[in-house]
Amino acid sequence: MRRVVTALLVVTVALVLADSAVVTLALPEILLELDTTVGEVAWVLISFNLVLALVAVPTAWSLRVTSPRVASAVGIAVFAGASAWCAAAGTIEVLVAARCLQAVGGALALLGCLELLVASYGERRGVATWITAGVVGTGLGPVLGGLLTEAISWQAIFVVQVPFAVLAVPAALTVAAPREPPADRHRPAVRANLTLAVLSAALVAASFLLVLLLVEGWRRSPATAAVTVSVVPLAALAARPLARALRTPPTVEVAVGCFLVAGGLVGLAVPPSAHLAWTVAPQVLVGLGLGMTVDRLTERALEQRLPRARHAAWTIGARHAGIVLGLALLTPVFTADLREAEAPAQEAVTALVIDAPLRPEDKVAVAEALGRQLQAERGQVPDLAPAFASLDLDPAERPAADDLERALDDQLERAATAAFRDSFLLGAGLALLAMLTVALPGRRRHP
Amino acid sequence: MTARRLVELLGLPLVALVLVAAVLGVQVAQGGGTYEPLRPADPCAERAVTSRADGIDGLTERIVLLGVDAAACRLGTSREALTLRLAQREDPTDAEVDALRAGLRDAVRRLGDDGDLPPASELADEALAAADLNRFVEAALRALPDSVVDGALDTEDVLLRAVDELDVRALLDDLDDPDALEAAVSAAVQQAVRDALLDRLRDLF
Repeated sequence: MRRVVTALLVVTVALVLADSAVVTLALPEILLELDTTVGEVAWVLISFNLVLALVAVPTAWSLRVTSPRVASAVGIAVFAGASAWCAAAGTIEVLVAARCLQAVGGALALLGCLELLVASYGERRGVATWITAGVVGTGLGPVLGGLLTEAISWQAIFVVQVPFAVLAVPAALTVAAPREPPADRHRPAVRANLTLAVLSAALVAASFLLVLLLVEGWRRSPATAAVTVSVVPLAALAARPLARALRTPPTVEVAVGCFLVAGGLVGLAVPPSAHLAWTVAPQVLVGLGLGMTVDRLTERALEQRLPRARHAAWTIGARHAGIVLGLALLTPVFTADLREAEAPAQEAVTALVIDAPLRPEDKVAVAEALGRQLQAERGQVPDLAPAFASLDLDPAERPAADDLERALDDQLERAATAAFRDSFLLGAGLALLAMLTVALPGRRRHP
Repeated sequence: MTARRLVELLGLPLVALVLVAAVLGVQVAQGGGTYEPLRPADPCAERAVTSRADGIDGLTERIVLLGVDAAACRLGTSREALTLRLAQREDPTDAEVDALRAGLRDAVRRLGDDGDLPPASELADEALAAADLNRFVEAALRALPDSVVDGALDTEDVLLRAVDELDVRALLDDLDDPDALEAAVSAAVQQAVRDALLDRLRDLF
């Protein structure tokens, strides 16, 4: 029974933190279905992270007057209800409101579950389990979201969370956990939380931007993108054994982790082609870096600091504020770069059509079909297949038209990849900044 | 510092450095960093153009391709940017129209200088078929020997006259209407042939 209860609490922690990025692959579908704009749909992602960052620490204060099991049960119930509301949302405004409520419930659930896991497993194992559940949830969020979107719909992402959460409510109520004493005993771990925030901002490039590049830039399906980005959580699993084998001190491990994230993001900025294989090695670097940093930093921020829930809240606040910072910094850069990429992409397409080995009248037909398609998909990387399928060409001209279609697709992929380059490099810069916050000498303590 | 402590401190950083260097090295060596869209070629540089079409259609395509290049060169822009501008904008500027006409003239001259213009007799049958002429006049013209046609009409001269006759602005308006385009070009060529023949007759007397 105890195992089932703790398993449900672990799943709840993973689900809440997975929600941070779970909708990333569903954003294009939400954009279409709720008939909204790119700017508005981004708030489905931003709102959850922003509210979680803002309410985490105040929520920890509320645990002084509430028993952890009641707080957990209420938090999980609110989270479950808000998830169901997300699935039922018919407008972008309602969806964003439901995501805010999800974050409020999620904050209470996360902090309550930490206390319950410590009560079940003891301090060290309880905290470690809570941290691991969070890292796994964060890593798997985009993967699960993409697979569910492709297999069923974006609403399924929220629907599947409800039964787990509904089961976790009674489970939480069965765990007896003492209320934490009210006194402030330790100051927040500023450096660990700052590194966590800056690194989380950098990791937005590896999760949010990479997914956008795969789905919107390279026009891969959400399921393909989900499988592709699963490299990061898998590589993260290998990080700790590697650091342990080399007996690396924790500070060095975190600094190296930040460096690996930076290296991986530079790799994602300079792929030699739009073949998915070229994203694997950079993602392995990011995954190794993730595995060496996030749980280490969270451990350090929580290590023997009381009240535990409040320090955990600082780590949640730092991580999610970092994600919001990353979105705020990276989104305008890549949207501006995407807009700027339109002209060179159109010119490249024009050059290939003009020089295509087609008869003049077929070139005109291709140009007209492409013009209509570009008009229909304004603001997005266009799918040229319908334009070519609509052409009434002499069968003898088909091979040349097929070659042209492939060449044009290649040009569009080149333009999209180049448009994401600066954002990935900015992400790499943020990871190096996070490394600096680790490497800088600390404040001297006077005896 | 012991060797063991050194390994503990430097082992992981060195592994990380090697991994990052290897990944980035392979990617850059395979063309990473230069994976960008095709850059427009310099329109002022000479470019060889070909056409899949034969006869007048093929010749027209080559003249248009070279002409747009020359016009873009005059306007200080790329061939692709000019093409997109002309295709997307309702009213081309006077400078664009003038550059396009001058570019087409440059194209005819270049083909003439390179010896790539066919003799008029090679194009006569096709031109007569496209022209809306009286059956007897058409039959009479078809009966003329090639040497007479080539002696009377110089292809480069006719094409230059046709370019001057063209209403470039109207032509750009009709880009999406192949029939209207063909009619406009055909009218300009017929007028150019008439003018060339009249001038030839004037020279004889």
